[in-house]
Amino acid sequence: MTDATASGAPAAAPAKKSSLHVLDERTKRRNAGEARFRLYGAVAVCLGVLALVGLLSSILYNGLSAFRQATLSIPVTITADEVETAEAALMKTGAYRTIIGNNLSAALADAGLDPAATGVDPIDLVSGEAPATLRNWVLTHPERIGEEVQLHVLANGRIDGYYKGRVTMQTAELDGNVSPEQLRFADEMRAAGLLTVGFNWGFLTLPDASENRPEAAGLGVAILGSAYMMLVVLFLALPIGVAASIYLEEFAAKNWFTDLIEVNISNLAAVPSIVFGILGLAIFINFAGLPQSAPIVGGLVLTLMTLPTIIIATRASLKAVPPSIRDAALGVGASKMQAVFHHVLPLAAPGILTGTIIGLAQALGETAPLLLIGMVAFVREYPAGPPEGLFDPASALPVQVYNWTQRADPAFVERASGAIIVLLIFLFLMNLLAIFLRRRFERRW
Amino acid sequence: MNDMRPLERIVDTETVKISARKCQVFYGDTHAIKDVDVDILDKTVTAFIGPSGCGKSTFLRCLNRMNDTIDVARVEGEIKIDDEDIYDTKVDPVQLRAKVGMVFQKPNPFPKSIYDNVAYGPKIHGLARNKAELDEIVEKALRRGAIWDEVKDRLSEPGTGLSGGQQQRLCIARAVATEPEVLLMDEPCSALDPIATAQVEELMDELRQSYSVVIVTHSMQQAARVSQRTAFFHLGYLVEYDETGTIFTNPKDPRTESYITGRIG
Repeated sequence: MTDATASGAPAAAPAKKSSLHVLDERTKRRNAGEARFRLYGAVAVCLGVLALVGLLSSILYNGLSAFRQATLSIPVTITADEVETAEAALMKTGAYRTIIGNNLSAALADAGLDPAATGVDPIDLVSGEAPATLRNWVLTHPERIGEEVQLHVLANGRIDGYYKGRVTMQTAELDGNVSPEQLRFADEMRAAGLLTVGFNWGFLTLPDASENRPEAAGLGVAILGSAYMMLVVLFLALPIGVAASIYLEEFAAKNWFTDLIEVNISNLAAVPSIVFGILGLAIFINFAGLPQSAPIVGGLVLTLMTLPTIIIATRASLKAVPPSIRDAALGVGASKMQAVFHHVLPLAAPGILTGTIIGLAQALGETAPLLLIGMVAFVREYPAGPPEGLFDPASALPVQVYNWTQRADPAFVERASGAIIVLLIFLFLMNLLAIFLRRRFERRW
Repeated sequence: MNDMRPLERIVDTETVKISARKCQVFYGDTHAIKDVDVDILDKTVTAFIGPSGCGKSTFLRCLNRMNDTIDVARVEGEIKIDDEDIYDTKVDPVQLRAKVGMVFQKPNPFPKSIYDNVAYGPKIHGLARNKAELDEIVEKALRRGAIWDEVKDRLSEPGTGLSGGQQQRLCIARAVATEPEVLLMDEPCSALDPIATAQVEELMDELRQSYSVVIVTHSMQQAARVSQRTAFFHLGYLVEYDETGTIFTNPKDPRTESYITGRIG
């Protein structure tokens, strides 16, 4: 339409010769259109970047503090008699709590602090996890009973929150679990060197903890569970996916049946992940009798989910290998299989690896199917080493995030955001690996 | 047209290497090759000429069963090499292709080293017992491909890094490394400049000493320069097949004459 009107314009003024220095109407309109399109593009990119920055900064703001932790270091002397009495007690951890309390009071007296004057019971500043920490230490180091040792125990979640800005004097007034006096006394202990704030290794190594001990909750079991599942997915999905795609792409006859398979694989890639969870529950747990909450079941379900991704990526990279390479190999008398394995597959390998890693990354972040097969359970025991550990109950990173966001204590918001950061770091590393492999092995011809 | 000296060409031998009888090729419903009868001689360069789409490449690809790789292609009739039917069910196309080498239109070296390009065929056919023998085979093949002097110092460099003409000669060296008896060339010079073309043509004449060479070409001058016998294809039919001199100077069929003089094609 615009062409017709524009071409009519010169006819209206035939005497005027067009100059290269004066833009005609049509060019002006076209340039304006191009400028507008570039603006739309820039706006779209900016919106995307803004959303990403907003998301990341919110997660980092909430979650970075999860990597810091207030810890009390108490010199503890525990005698064989005390251990015997504590082990004989009905509430063993209660007895150990008393031992810690006594040692802490002694340490405070040495440092010249007087908790009684402020009306604070110093044991309230210690995490509920501490007696178990002491007991585990005693059981694993029986030979050191009677010596004086430095015991590092976690500070109570509220005290920890005070040093991260989550708990303030004002909120402590209203909080039944902590008082401003306790916070002030914690400051005194910090000044005396009894309380330190440092990097929180426990967040990466400890198992999950109960509702009222957020300071002790860690990702250890979830990271292990996720790693086991990724192993299962890698060892099942990669060989099955690559073999299936090579067969479909290079060997299978092209007929209605292979077309049907191809359409179904594409459809499978679009099936909602929760459907795979139901499938896994029905087949692997109810029918095959595999244990619930086990990484093996999670891995199998995620394998089913990842297979289409790997098959599609592999077929695309096999298709991208120029047919002249196949001709060349067949021309010197290579068999079909030799042509594929000696020439086509090495050229397709970077694409296959990239597809596989992207599939794995997708599987790593998948939550819904794991909820259905019981990975959402509260697991405190580390799974054993592989392969037996594959059948032990474990958690998974995204499920741990889901779990923590449901808990009441605001300290778990921080933990959940911290877990998201860990998950994102893993995803980032995997994508980095994919890019590296593609750059490293990509060959041009 | 100094190169055009067809009358000087002498056919050294009358031994038939490849014979085709009533050969038909179908691509799905398309009848691409119709009733082709031809006897290709040993130690001779035979050129297939004809306009685009006349079926000359298709027929060439029948001779080493490369058409098998196309799902819809179907070959009928009889093609014999040394009196053995190559479409017999007992024939393994892999063995056949070791015997009938092929050079393609576009140079297609493997994205591997020059050495590995040439060594690949001998390796998969078990022609060398050790590294020394393989080295010898590679050197011999590269010398026959007239590229040895240019690449002998950089055998470990990728074959894809060579120039177009060098790549094509590397592909020829790769094809002769398996000691074939017949060498098929599908427009081997169409991607090359005149100098590289001259080198490849010279090479064809040398290769004729040991092999039966069949070349598909769009260039009538090239056919006249390198071949002893020429076959003219038109619309899937083999119109005329004779000594190159006869075809270019005294064609019997009016269609051949029209094509040669530039009236069709």
